[in-house]
Amino acid sequence: MPKPEDYSERKADIAGWPVTIVSYRLDGVYRTTIDNTDPGAWVVKAEGPSKAESEAKATQEATALLEKVKRSKPPTGCTSVPGF
Amino acid sequence: MSTTTSASPQTAQEVLVGTDWVASHQNDSNIRVVEVDVDTKAYNEGHVPNAVGWAWDTQLCDTVRRDIVPKGAFERLMGESGITPNTTVILYGDNNNWFAAWAFWQLKVYGHKDVRLMNGGRKKWIAEGRELSTQPVKPQATTYQAKDADTSLRAFLPEVMKAAAERSQQMVDVRSPQEFSGELLAPPGLPETCQRGGHIPSAKNIPWAKACNEDGTFKSPADLKTLYGAAGITGEKPIIAYCRIGERSSHTWFVLKYLLGYKNVKNYDGSWTEYGNLVGVSVEKP
Repeated sequence: MPKPEDYSERKADIAGWPVTIVSYRLDGVYRTTIDNTDPGAWVVKAEGPSKAESEAKATQEATALLEKVKRSKPPTGCTSVPGF
Repeated sequence: MSTTTSASPQTAQEVLVGTDWVASHQNDSNIRVVEVDVDTKAYNEGHVPNAVGWAWDTQLCDTVRRDIVPKGAFERLMGESGITPNTTVILYGDNNNWFAAWAFWQLKVYGHKDVRLMNGGRKKWIAEGRELSTQPVKPQATTYQAKDADTSLRAFLPEVMKAAAERSQQMVDVRSPQEFSGELLAPPGLPETCQRGGHIPSAKNIPWAKACNEDGTFKSPADLKTLYGAAGITGEKPIIAYCRIGERSSHTWFVLKYLLGYKNVKNYDGSWTEYGNLVGVSVEKP
């Protein structure tokens, strides 16, 4: 039964978002997952014959996705109804 | 209403197992290991040997109306997974056990006695270089009978509205600070959203991930008590945890109820995708 090898995990910044890049090799294939560290949702995954290729592919996809995320204007004031 | 508080290490021992323990017990006849991931394809890429996989988006919810898995479907899922009421169910998954905690919560709602999380989840198992199987697992089916849903573990909108209005319960918003403030309507990469940003009035923002160490394991009960206590969450008052769709708040619900031993803790699975879409309710933005 195969075991994951060459596991690595590092923090990075993609399109202004903090992310975690995790890679490992399983059965001769490198697998990379990039998730946004906070809140920590899965974002993209990729595979490649080398760690560099797998991570480059995942980074490209993550960049395209994260660049589209909309941020609202900074909130101002409290909109609660008095007495609520 | 006041609730008893305790932070007994014994509590954690009853609901958490380590990766070493799973590696040596994964084939025991009274143990069923189950993987539940945010990424529902992860299981097929390699899983703990002899673990079955559940999909949160089809098997742990009602696929017609928005609700948890109906009792009958839950019984079928448990039966197909070879689980009896006496089975020890070990849950684990990606994202530090996000949806494993969601499954844990539902198993408790339906009264399963012995449920535990694998501390550190899928990430720790892989980081430690442990065996991964791609073989499908077909346990011998059982006939499982669940108990009626325990609604003391679940908060619905009317209770949340009342609690927010009367400040009678403590609300813990476990989303990211950007979601809490209204800067983000949903985390990057996730589709479920809402019409308004912000949070439920009086809620305290304690992001779920603050309960975890870097390796994905849970912090010690002492550290957790300090974390939540700093925000005034001590278990003296009933607590309602919420997030966006109820999965991250299951994680915090697990921490508060089982690792800290706070008696009266509910998960509001309607969460912000329900509340943030309501017409005419109060929304707070810091």
